[in-house]
Amino acid sequence: MGNSFFQSIRALFRLKPAQKLNRDYLISLLCAVLLAFLVGAGIMLLCGFDPIQCYGALFEGALGKPRAIGNTLAKAMTLALCGLAMSVAAKAGIFNVGGEGQLFMGALAAAVVGAQVKGAPAWVVVILALLASLLAGGLYAWVPGAMKVYWKVDEVITTIMLNSVATFFCSYMANGPLKTTEKGIASGTASIMKEAGFAKLIPLSNLTTAILFAAAAALFTWYLMTRSSVGFEMKLTGDNDRFAAYGGISAKKLMLWSMVLSGAICGLTGMLEVFGLHKRFMTTLSNEFYFDGMLVAMIMRYQPFGVILMSLFFAVLNIGSRSMELSAGISSEVILIVQSIIIFFMAAEGGIRTALQNRSAIRKARREAKAKEAGV
Amino acid sequence: MEKKEIVRFSHVTKRYPGTLANDDVSLSVQRGEVFALVGENGAGKSTLMNLLYGMQPVTMGEIFIDGEKIGPQHCPEKAMEMGVSMVHQHFKLVPSFTVAQNILLGHEPKKKLSYDFQAVRDAVRKLSETYGLYVNPDDVTGELSVGLQQRVEILKALRTGAKVLILDEPTAVLTPQETDDLFRVIRRIVEEQGMTVILITHRLPEVMQVSDRVGVMKRGRLVKVMETAQTSEREIASLMVGRDVIFDELRQQHELGEEKLRVEELCALNDRMLPALRQVSLSVHAGEIVGVCGVEGNGQTELAECIMGMRPQTGGRVLLCGEDVSRKTPGEIRSRGVSFIPEDRMTTGVDGKASVAENLLVGKQHRPEFSLLGGLHLRRHRVKQYAAEQAEKFDIRMASVDDPVSSLSGGNMQKVVIAREFSFDSPVLVISQPTRGVDIGAIEFIHERIMQKRNEGCAILLISADLDELFRLSDRLVTLYEGQITGSFQTEAITREEIGYYMTGGGKDELAENAAKEEMRHG
Amino acid sequence: MSEIFNVLLLQNTLRTATPVVLAALGCLMTQHVNITNIGIDGMMLIGAFFAVLGSYYCGSWAAGLAFAIVFGVILGLLYYVLVIRFHSDEFIIGVALNIFAGGLTTFLLRTIFQVKGSFSDPRIAPLPTIVIPGLKDIPVLGHLLSGNTLLVYVSWLLVPLCWYLIYKTPWGFHLRASGEYPDALEASGRSPERMKLSASVLCGVLSCMAGAHLSLGYLTMFSENMSASRGYVAFACVIFGRGNPPVVFLAALLFGFIEALGLRLQKYVPSDLTGMAPYLVTVLMMVAVVLWEQKKKGKVAKG
Repeated sequence: MGNSFFQSIRALFRLKPAQKLNRDYLISLLCAVLLAFLVGAGIMLLCGFDPIQCYGALFEGALGKPRAIGNTLAKAMTLALCGLAMSVAAKAGIFNVGGEGQLFMGALAAAVVGAQVKGAPAWVVVILALLASLLAGGLYAWVPGAMKVYWKVDEVITTIMLNSVATFFCSYMANGPLKTTEKGIASGTASIMKEAGFAKLIPLSNLTTAILFAAAAALFTWYLMTRSSVGFEMKLTGDNDRFAAYGGISAKKLMLWSMVLSGAICGLTGMLEVFGLHKRFMTTLSNEFYFDGMLVAMIMRYQPFGVILMSLFFAVLNIGSRSMELSAGISSEVILIVQSIIIFFMAAEGGIRTALQNRSAIRKARREAKAKEAGV
Repeated sequence: MEKKEIVRFSHVTKRYPGTLANDDVSLSVQRGEVFALVGENGAGKSTLMNLLYGMQPVTMGEIFIDGEKIGPQHCPEKAMEMGVSMVHQHFKLVPSFTVAQNILLGHEPKKKLSYDFQAVRDAVRKLSETYGLYVNPDDVTGELSVGLQQRVEILKALRTGAKVLILDEPTAVLTPQETDDLFRVIRRIVEEQGMTVILITHRLPEVMQVSDRVGVMKRGRLVKVMETAQTSEREIASLMVGRDVIFDELRQQHELGEEKLRVEELCALNDRMLPALRQVSLSVHAGEIVGVCGVEGNGQTELAECIMGMRPQTGGRVLLCGEDVSRKTPGEIRSRGVSFIPEDRMTTGVDGKASVAENLLVGKQHRPEFSLLGGLHLRRHRVKQYAAEQAEKFDIRMASVDDPVSSLSGGNMQKVVIAREFSFDSPVLVISQPTRGVDIGAIEFIHERIMQKRNEGCAILLISADLDELFRLSDRLVTLYEGQITGSFQTEAITREEIGYYMTGGGKDELAENAAKEEMRHG
Repeated sequence: MSEIFNVLLLQNTLRTATPVVLAALGCLMTQHVNITNIGIDGMMLIGAFFAVLGSYYCGSWAAGLAFAIVFGVILGLLYYVLVIRFHSDEFIIGVALNIFAGGLTTFLLRTIFQVKGSFSDPRIAPLPTIVIPGLKDIPVLGHLLSGNTLLVYVSWLLVPLCWYLIYKTPWGFHLRASGEYPDALEASGRSPERMKLSASVLCGVLSCMAGAHLSLGYLTMFSENMSASRGYVAFACVIFGRGNPPVVFLAALLFGFIEALGLRLQKYVPSDLTGMAPYLVTVLMMVAVVLWEQKKKGKVAKG
């Protein structure tokens, strides 16, 4: 026991961002998706549903109507932002599992600004709310980040714990001091200034002009991560922090700032939810959105572009599953199972690949030996 | 009457994809002898022993242990059953377990269901007495010196009643004192217990000192087997490399410049939080190479890291052209004109996953020629162009600058590090183990580059475990022993033997005496 | 004050700590073989669901427990195959396992019991309460030590048992060696993989038992996401206790005490604020441990 025990834990949490997406990996991804769909079909058959009808309803529900497409895009936006937030931090070698909490804090801050700032033009309110959410999310990520960087407290556990703290705190605020006086709102704050809310792009859907902000944020993140000197430094820090420090990069500062940026993106996501969808802070604002985004980021190996594409696919599954439940009757959670199977396969991708290669090599060797024997 | 022969290799070939590691090797090892197997890195000596120990399957040929042919399912357990044990370069010991627990790991005596602590202790004590290898069964293994850990490894290997003991580069990590102890132990188990020891090494003086016979390997082939008494270091060396290894003289006299780097009474801790540097003072002038000699683990690593700001110091200071940089970060120290070639390429010197171009860029990513808008945009085409130029200049051989550095050979990887560090034109260079694991051609190239830097007026602190390298390049030598400087000499004025004396603590008493005198004078 | 600080508080402490204790014992098994398992939460949830399923259909708590244990073995095997056999990233697998558990249990809840949210039914047989005849009449202690459900006692027995297994048997030595330096174990002719397999399976079983206690002992119902991050808390306890069962047990008790205190304070303080407490304390605990470690290290260096 002793130090080695702690070291082993530390070593584990310093998970290195995996290598690039290559063709083989994308092919595996396709196989994993197909396999997961097959497993899903098996479950549907077991429960007495017709898989073709179910999957039909799924895609119909996600992409069939403009309204559905709007919802899917809105969902993809949330997922992609969360995924990018995870990627930014992970790229620099620090793991932000606390995005859910940062999202809540950002949403609450934005809602407060949106409701309390009165008499200012709408665009000022939007900008103020934006800043408030970035600040709230960033600060809430700074705490575990600083603890990690300066005290070496594992960020994975602290961020998970801070998620719960944030959700309880926001719930307290929404049910207590900041509770709206409007009737019929179970737990939520006062609604934001009406003109400041984002306009719907597709009627009746969840898609609002918020997606423009999201796109700008995504573009910025992508550029920062892949095209800038700072992104280059982040990558070095994440790959090998010892090397980065040796090379004169202040790895600690960089890690901390990536964490703050990650938190700020989460805060922004919360703000977009508030101003786009609910027009107020609600405790039901996010249902572990960040965890979904995080998994998307992980299976796409923290590559920003891949994260955005994969978010679209997961959004299709997510939105489609709801209408699948309505029209085909099967519980939408079957899609959660399908999603986690994709993730299981992708996480085990390398191992499965070597296992298959070894097996085929052995088989080949056996065949050759047999051929030799027959020849002799 | 027992047969004289205990191990026989008969036309053994081992092929890896792309390389022939052992090519038609036939060799017979006798009972009760110390057989030294020598050769350069990659000559195939470790591979040959791995075949014997069952770590790898043989491609072609046969191996006999005590007259018994090894089967296709040969594995370390089988090898041990047949009486062959191996002590690897990397010890396989659990740091938090005691010595006794490690020796009997996997074969613990039980008392009902429980671990029988007393029986384990007794068994190890008995084993230790039988072979005259003294260890305290209750010491925690991770806290022991390397020499003692090796002794634990040897006991572990002997526990199964081995007849043949293979030692893979056993002295690489030992102090001269520990090496002597080890050789005493080897002679003793050979003479008293009738064991056979196969020693893999590339240190020729040791071969002469301890072995009965020696086999020389080169590029997978066994070149020659000789009686040690009837050969010489020179003969073995020339068989090993196929040419004379003595390099030409590189150094020429020239004028020293002003003092660039000064270390004053520097103290620091190692990773285990134990004192690693005790009041180290030294200075390096422009146009001078100061070589730091010492057995590894005597504070060299910590010295370099302290100078670079990568390790907090607990006392003293580091002056750079007169400026105190003791509390500065590596980035700040670099910007004041220090470059550093670290001893461990893979973990510190490069980012293995990043491309060659990216590795060459590090440190310059904010320079205007590579970046715009204060780091927001990286000019990637320029980076590639620059990398290609550097690769050309330093003869780095690779397929493309976009390849990950980890795909390069050791020598080429080291050239990447050197190209990057030399490109800053820093007036001060700290160079640690520049040619470790690098092939001979590249060594020559690297040495010439270092010399060129010195002639251009750089102040160079050279840390190396290779005395030949130090003598070849350095103007002045200092010896480091247990974190203290035990001596400082002009290279021409000292011999290897004398340096060896100071490296192993020989000058320590003198030092203490001087310090006492000093104190008396002040007091 | 006496309304808050009384025997009932201590009793609640034990009740709330038990699932964390069981899960933490599971978690420390994998921790000792150097696997960081953060999928404990999902394992608990699955255990909780299948315990209810077994208990409901067979009408006996024993069947419920058996179901939970069987699924614990399956989960442990799955975890082993993914993490050890296929060298997957244990962090991703852990998070995915938690999401998978949420999806699976909710899906089955809706498909089998046709309910949303939670399922309770008189036909679910809860774990038996054990009254220890001699003890129950002692004031204070009697309340605490007697009249708890089965798994509470099991967890108390398991703490010393795990300690004994890990530190006092050859098996424990192999277990720790396979985590700390697998090559050493391999060189002695034993398979570290096999040790990791047994650790994974034990972890699955213990976590699912923790889940069974949640749904059959602590409450008699299953509700969606009822593990409520307890798996993570268990993990924090393991780190806090450095994998040593008695210390981990104390950490879990501390957590249980804070949660129980929070529940009792609800009359005076909003429940959301008291709900925050255990998680905040866990964070503070981790900071304290790390800072204390560093201080100790610094002292060693000076001395």
